Amino acid sequence: MLHPMTAPTIVSTTDLHRRYGEGPAAVDALAGVSVDIARGAFTAIMGASGSGKSTLMHLMAGLDKPTAGSVRLDGAEIAGLDDKHLTELRRDRVGFVFQAFNLLPVLTAEENLVLPLTIAGRKPDAAWLESLIDAVGLGDRRTHRPSELSGGQQQRVAVARALVSRPAVVFADEPTGNLDSNASAEVLVLLRRAVDEFEQTVVMVTHDASAAAYADRLIVLADGRVAHDGPAGGADDILDVMKAIGP
Amino acid sequence: MRKVALRGLRARPLRTALTALAVVLGVAMIAGTYIFTDTINRSFADVFSQANSGTDVAIVAEKVDEDFFSDPPPLDERLVARVRAVDGVASVSGAVFASVSIRKRDGDRVASESFVSSLQPAPFEQFRFVEGRAPAGADEIGLDRATFDDEGYALGDKVKIVGEQGAKRYELVGAATFGDVSSPAGIPVAIATLPTAQALSGREGRLDGISVAADQGVKPALLRGRVRGALSGEPVAVRTGSEDAAAQAADLEEDFGFIRTALLVFGGIALFVGAFVIYNTFSITVAQRTRELALLRMIGATRRQVLRSVVLEAAVIGVIASLLGLLGGLALVPALRGLLGAIGAELPSTASVIAPRTIVVALLVGVVVTVVASLVPALRATRIAPIAALREGLTAAPKAGRARLAIAGLLCVSGAIVVAIGLLGDASAGTAAATLGGGSVAVFLGVALFSPQLVRPIASVVGAPMQRLAGISGRLARENATRNPARTAVTAAALMVGVALVVFVTIFAAGLRGSIDRAVDRAFAGDLTVGAKSGFGETPPAVAGAVRAIDGVAAVSSVRFTEGRVASETETTSVVGFDPKSISRTYKLRWKEGSDATLARLGDDGILSDTGYSKTARIGDRVTLLTPAGKRVTYVIRGLLDEGSEFGLLGGGLVIPNDRLAADFDATDDAFVFLRYAPGADGAQVRAAIDRTLAASFPDARTRDREQVKEQQAGQINQLLYLIYALLALSLIVSLFGIVNTLALSIFERTRELGLLRAVGMSRRQVKRIVRLEAVITSLIGALLGLALGVLFALAISRPLEQDGFRLTFPVGTLVALVVCAALAGMLASLWPARRAARLDVLRALAYE
Repeated sequence: MLHPMTAPTIVSTTDLHRRYGEGPAAVDALAGVSVDIARGAFTAIMGASGSGKSTLMHLMAGLDKPTAGSVRLDGAEIAGLDDKHLTELRRDRVGFVFQAFNLLPVLTAEENLVLPLTIAGRKPDAAWLESLIDAVGLGDRRTHRPSELSGGQQQRVAVARALVSRPAVVFADEPTGNLDSNASAEVLVLLRRAVDEFEQTVVMVTHDASAAAYADRLIVLADGRVAHDGPAGGADDILDVMKAIGP
Repeated sequence: MRKVALRGLRARPLRTALTALAVVLGVAMIAGTYIFTDTINRSFADVFSQANSGTDVAIVAEKVDEDFFSDPPPLDERLVARVRAVDGVASVSGAVFASVSIRKRDGDRVASESFVSSLQPAPFEQFRFVEGRAPAGADEIGLDRATFDDEGYALGDKVKIVGEQGAKRYELVGAATFGDVSSPAGIPVAIATLPTAQALSGREGRLDGISVAADQGVKPALLRGRVRGALSGEPVAVRTGSEDAAAQAADLEEDFGFIRTALLVFGGIALFVGAFVIYNTFSITVAQRTRELALLRMIGATRRQVLRSVVLEAAVIGVIASLLGLLGGLALVPALRGLLGAIGAELPSTASVIAPRTIVVALLVGVVVTVVASLVPALRATRIAPIAALREGLTAAPKAGRARLAIAGLLCVSGAIVVAIGLLGDASAGTAAATLGGGSVAVFLGVALFSPQLVRPIASVVGAPMQRLAGISGRLARENATRNPARTAVTAAALMVGVALVVFVTIFAAGLRGSIDRAVDRAFAGDLTVGAKSGFGETPPAVAGAVRAIDGVAAVSSVRFTEGRVASETETTSVVGFDPKSISRTYKLRWKEGSDATLARLGDDGILSDTGYSKTARIGDRVTLLTPAGKRVTYVIRGLLDEGSEFGLLGGGLVIPNDRLAADFDATDDAFVFLRYAPGADGAQVRAAIDRTLAASFPDARTRDREQVKEQQAGQINQLLYLIYALLALSLIVSLFGIVNTLALSIFERTRELGLLRAVGMSRRQVKRIVRLEAVITSLIGALLGLALGVLFALAISRPLEQDGFRLTFPVGTLVALVVCAALAGMLASLWPARRAARLDVLRALAYE
């Protein structure tokens, strides 16, 4: 396994700024953030509410445009892309997992899983699909609708969907926020396996130190700036780091 | 609570506006109809008052029976002398005011209706000559100022006017205003001396009215009594000048009543469809606001307060809709005028009259319809449990309860029964129409209640090809459409109503055209007919005479239409006049009892009876009739015809020889003249000769061969059909608004989902496609249901008419085109919602709570 700090970078931002509003009421969600996300690593981004962590992820994923600065994803500069190209990016090279409402209620688990491919008009590789379904442990529930799945099962389908097109990077926004500790563990183990076995890159925003402990690297934001960037240790180490940074 | 309701409306102005629009169009139609007919009535009322402003007592011919359609015969000139002899009379003047056809310089009619008015001495004359002078000689006329200016006439021009004797040219010597206005209600009038006017209109020795001015100090009411006494026993109506003006205005209003009712019915249909849309919109918004309403209940609002809040919203929207509808009504007036003008009923255009009644009706109708439509959703809102405030996620689609299906079934069945009663029963036309209408409404509501059951099956049939063609977008569109079947069904039902009516009239018209074609084919034995160009009017007897004189014409047979009152019948009886000597050479009569030989044995009082008049009449029966001329005559039935009522040219009532019509009914104008070429004659040449004669002397008449007769009848039906289409278009537009509304609201509801799709890589175009296909599925559901209902209605109505020769034909091409149009309309309706969906900011959509 490559060391995250020296491995090639898959996503990098340079002096990223994001301002909301104008004049005296303007808010700087990000005030100059430069990070490099290593390929094949599991990175956790933490910070207090309003620290800018979600904003950073949205910008890295191409869901938002920065006020200043640049974002490179998988070799391409994405800050200036138009909607069409950003859409293609999201479809083919980025995977998403949200805190809730990840799945379309009208599709089955399997259909939700292959949704990005269906949108692109492509058929999934049967072997890859089977191994994914196996990996997330949903073999007997593949024809069930989301309303028939538990919260944990839904999130696992969401993770599988994020992986199905073998994206350059998977972004997860508080993926365990709505789950109990057992279900959380299942999802986090899955994300870890994605990195270890499928050689994916995962970037996870979380406020939960025990979730961040699954990661290889920890970035902490405070007031729109990077306050810490280093290897992620165990949950206790992470709590210490957070305490040091302050409220 | 009031604040919550009102703020809620203000916070979402677009949604409020869209919801209100559903009702605006219906209110606009109703308001527009009232404004339109009020305006016409007022302008004519003004004309009538003006015409009578110098008259103290007016004498006119009285209709013998008030249900008679035709005008009574004109007054005898000799009455003038008798009136002059009455004590208190200062001056008397007899006048003619009759329909003639004034032609433009290029030969076309100046307008669909024009008149000749005879000059009267002061104080009766209302035309004031502002250019030139009043006509004095037999070949001189004046024109109203408006026609003079509009047609670009100059004094000294020879103006062509077509009257009873055919076309004749008169020298234009003056232009006059009518009181202060340039023409009476926009109607062209030629002014002539009394003898000239009488000759022009075929009223030699007769008058249309007698005006009387009273001596100084004699009250009009008093004089009226004296004149009545002097004229007792005559078929006249004696009234004071102002009473007469009022009576004429009232008569006209009654005649227009039919148009007004018809237009109001279409407005009602638009409102009915609007009610569907309101119901749907409120259902959706109540479901979307479940947490909000539950919260209110949780902090202490009672059920009644919640109910009142929703109803208040509906009332406010209703008021907005009514006010906008009033404005819309004003805008609709020129359109209504244009529509009626297109089918030949030209009406004057003057300043619009907005009566207080119109405003009240508009407000009432708008508010009541909106509130009533919102009641069920409002009641549903009261049933939201307070605990729902704490629950996540949207409420699942309500399942169709047994109760709902039972009510649906009940409505359908009872509606069908009522429709059957209306069709087969014996009631008068008005009651039958109302019964049919009520029954149809019940059937529509029943089908609408039942339709959610049909959404899934129809959507899968329609959606299958879509999925194949549009992949995931098609699939999602289908899923979304079936996700909440009740909602999709009600949206589709709004379209269903309009489509069902369009389909019904289309099929019915096709059947009508077919029946008429068959009737013409069966009965037409001659070579040509001569009739009025417009197809509605009559030709003077001189036309038949002129045609008879042409070389190569062997047989000429006239047909006339009039009416009579048989004492035992509730409605007037239609009377068809014919020429027994010549009819069988140009028309194949269908006999039930008797034969063409019977025609020679009719004698002085023999007539024929058709099965349309009575199925139980027998040969030898005596029939006593009151004619529009005031005569009471008795005829003997000597033959029975089986022509059928509306589709045989001769069928429907009593068939009486033309000389009797002239003598007893004062009916001398022909509806049709059939003719046959002489054996060996060159048809084309003879026809050319006839055409030349007509063009020269009777430009309002034209020849038609069998195919052209069919075309003309078909043309009339088509015109009416297009008029109905145009009026139904309003309802269709309302239902399209319903689709727009439902789509917009459901997109709002699915913001997170749409954001998810975009986040996962769905392009804007694919998202737009989903919305578009959803709209197409919904409108196709509505169109197919409407098609089925329309066909059912057509089948139902064809049963009782079958015995009259009506056969159902299905214009498959047109019907398919209608369904395709519905799909296209759905696409049109989806344009704006699709753009909104595609424009969703992905980030905001994902963060949406």
